[in-house]
Amino acid sequence: MKSRIRIVFLKELRETLREKRTLGFLAMMTLAYPVLIGFMMHQAIEKSTRTEREGINLTVIGGARAPTLMAQLRERSVTIADSAAMSEDAIGELLHSKKAAAVLRVSDDFIENYEAMRPARIELWFDSSSESGSQRRELEEALQAYGNNIASARLLAHGVSPATLAPVLVQRYDTGTNASRSAMILGSVIGILFFPAFMLNMSSAVDSTAGERERRSLEVLMAQPARAWELVGGKWLACSIIAIVGVTFELIVAHAILKWLPLEEIGMSWNLGWGELALVCLATVPLSLLSGALYIALAMNAKTFKEAQTTLSIVMIVPLVPGFVVSFMELKTAQWMYLVPMLSNQTLVKELAKTGDIGPLPFVLTFLCALLPALLVAAFASWRMNSEKYVLGV
Amino acid sequence: MIEVHDVRKQFGAVQALGGVSFTAHDGQITALLGPNGAGKTTLLRTLVGLLKRDHGSILIGGVDPEKDPMAVRRNIGFLTDQFGLYERLTTREYLNYFGELNGMNSAALKQRIAEVSELLGMDDIIERPTKGFSQGQRIKVALARTLLHRPRHLLLDEPSRGLDVMSTRALRTALGALRADGCCVIMATHVMQEVTHLCEDVIVIAKGHTVAQGSPEELCRRTGIANLEDAFVSLVGTEEGIA
Repeated sequence: MKSRIRIVFLKELRETLREKRTLGFLAMMTLAYPVLIGFMMHQAIEKSTRTEREGINLTVIGGARAPTLMAQLRERSVTIADSAAMSEDAIGELLHSKKAAAVLRVSDDFIENYEAMRPARIELWFDSSSESGSQRRELEEALQAYGNNIASARLLAHGVSPATLAPVLVQRYDTGTNASRSAMILGSVIGILFFPAFMLNMSSAVDSTAGERERRSLEVLMAQPARAWELVGGKWLACSIIAIVGVTFELIVAHAILKWLPLEEIGMSWNLGWGELALVCLATVPLSLLSGALYIALAMNAKTFKEAQTTLSIVMIVPLVPGFVVSFMELKTAQWMYLVPMLSNQTLVKELAKTGDIGPLPFVLTFLCALLPALLVAAFASWRMNSEKYVLGV
Repeated sequence: MIEVHDVRKQFGAVQALGGVSFTAHDGQITALLGPNGAGKTTLLRTLVGLLKRDHGSILIGGVDPEKDPMAVRRNIGFLTDQFGLYERLTTREYLNYFGELNGMNSAALKQRIAEVSELLGMDDIIERPTKGFSQGQRIKVALARTLLHRPRHLLLDEPSRGLDVMSTRALRTALGALRADGCCVIMATHVMQEVTHLCEDVIVIAKGHTVAQGSPEELCRRTGIANLEDAFVSLVGTEEGIA
């Protein structure tokens, strides 16, 4: 005779796997999720390894009227494309297509005004809705410098020191490095790496408890010769195994992607080997068990599928909170972090990625800090199912 | 045999069962009559050990459901007022699930499913997922589940509701077969015609108390009313709350 917990487990699993929505979600979480993370990282690497001044494309109309300016712009490695006169619409079109970061139009009477020492007009056309804000600043600085040069020369010709024009000298230093920026990105990637442990088992947990209650099949089930802990246990393990399998695959795919990305180019590291990854996956198993137990315990008290879903969507956010608080307050890794489920998994991976070797204790703590509450919550759910109050509501 | 003596059950201030006593014999179909809210569901739930009584004694085949609920449940087929099918499972998978929960092995299950399927005339739906079943098909599946593990005691809550003529006949045949096997059947119902046709014994409960027990003829004789329905109304003492 098979054990009843196994009978319930197999039946719930079979029912869950028959639902296409659940399967689709599982596939998306295990494949698309890490690929998305990888894509994000890839973009970040691309962006920060690109030199900032490279590729300012400037279209100039009437550039021949200001050859000195053109020379100075080229010195600042601006690629200049000369163009014939354009209408305003054509300029707008050009900027919108992002072929040029800006358009410079030297007015027709530029030379005349320049020689007469009247303000000579140069138009700078740009699209503020595009991302080339820093490039535009670059261009404005170049134009400013050009103007200052001319002013200095003219003052000098009148016997006045050009220094009078610059009573204050501002010099800018940016201490932000690529590495510090990308450390934040890696931190947030690790933060969401374990989230599927709280997403994949939700629909199964709700369906096998609140759903069964809504369809009124729970009373029949409870009248069978099976103890409450066997029913709860089977349902709990069935919804947890889906999360366990999903998270394990997701971690493997994410690991492969992070190993493949040239993280060292932005001063980051992913020092995990496959052996360590296996240990991380193992230490993460109880996290899925904990979320499953929590969902079962909460959803079984809801009268309808919908009610349970609403409650659980709120609960689902909770595990992300400790991770956010820690990164927000910029706390240094401490031993206590391995005692908070979810945060312990995040800390574990973070430290492994950094140093590669952290000893066995963090793994053990991560494993136990989720397993013990999971067992407690599952026991509570069994006790609850046995109570008369619960039977009455079924 | 099901023996119930002075069973009481209170929920907060509400007295759901105020003293129910009866004996249902083997090889008989016993009707459980009572207006809605008389305490039938509470009584059936107490019998399978889902609820604990406050007072009195219950013996099902000589076993107290409070002392050994698992032994009692193995020997009970319980058809609730809701059938509770699993839409993504086929009829056979559904029956396998409950058969296994009752400790049947796969060989016994296979044979028994063929038997109940023939008894209830449900060969055409045995391999179909239960989604979209008609009321008659649903109740057949639920009834098959109830009979599957050959329980000696059957508690049926309105088994004939929503059935067409053919299915009602199939149900009647099934009940007849159970009686011939010597099973003890308790059937809650509101259909008087069914009671007169099928049942040897009738228990009338109202407001949580047993009002009368006896054969349909005895009840008519005792009240001096020829029609069972009128006799029932007279026994319950009010016309209120009769479905």
